[in-house]
Amino acid sequence: MNDAQLVKQVLNGNNHAFRFLVSKYQRLVMHVVGRIIQQEDELEDICQEVFIKVFKMLKRFRGDSKLSTWIATIAYNTAITHYRKQKRRGELSYSEQPNLILAEKDPGLNQKSIEKEEAKKYLMQLIESLPVNYRTVITLFHLEEFSYKEIEEITGMPEGTIKSYLSRARKLLKGKIEKVARLEQTNIFVDYV
Amino acid sequence: MYNEDRNFDTDQLLKEAFTSEPEFKLSENFTDLLVEKVEKRFAWAQYLREFLIYLSVLFGIMVVSAVLAFVWYNAKVDNWLSFLASNASLVIGINLLVVFVLFADRVLLRYFMYRASSE
Repeated sequence: MNDAQLVKQVLNGNNHAFRFLVSKYQRLVMHVVGRIIQQEDELEDICQEVFIKVFKMLKRFRGDSKLSTWIATIAYNTAITHYRKQKRRGELSYSEQPNLILAEKDPGLNQKSIEKEEAKKYLMQLIESLPVNYRTVITLFHLEEFSYKEIEEITGMPEGTIKSYLSRARKLLKGKIEKVARLEQTNIFVDYV
Repeated sequence: MYNEDRNFDTDQLLKEAFTSEPEFKLSENFTDLLVEKVEKRFAWAQYLREFLIYLSVLFGIMVVSAVLAFVWYNAKVDNWLSFLASNASLVIGINLLVVFVLFADRVLLRYFMYRASSE
């Protein structure tokens, strides 16, 4: 079933079609929302809110873009609204500049020998500690494989900014992981080819 | 000491980290809970829409009846207004009762029956 047929079925009140739509796109919504919100206790509620919005607004979907892009846009807008509310309430410390100090202090890194999986885990912690815009574009570009144009459509950020975020994030993380490898003097990447 | 020649590939590691599934997860029954929630909302909206249609039809019938009364039976507006003024509480009470009965029948009862059957 293609997206147009799926939308038509959902609009006709077919519950199985809606269930299928949720199953198909819940991973995408979870990634977008999770990377922005970073609070597991709120993740489920916000993902539900996203799909309820999708259900309500589906009749406005004209097929100008892919359904995944349209759903990702709703997920992004919903999550970023929650994020800003949290920020206003002072529940989050917010910085536009990358701050990787917390991750650097991770005691797990003091081990002499860090396995490949641990190094990857450390990198993923670093990704989570990046500012929200960096995390979002990394998720959309690398994890969900959206194009620059689609990310621009989803987030409203100009293409140049998206490219800049991706490149800066990459450079930051690379520098960080290489620095850790040097500092720890471990064979952290010995097995890694 | 750190050896620059050591065999590692940060680009590859970064690529893997970027494309790895994040640790957060949704519950196993996420889809079931969501579909149930949406079904309830859909049912409520549907019942409410039907109630409004019934109400519109009733109102339409009343308007048509009034027009017919004026055209065929030479009804007088003044007589109607004086009747309404002298029996205002009765007229308002009956109207509210009709609307409530219709709402209870078309929306509330159906919704609670639906919820009871789905639980």
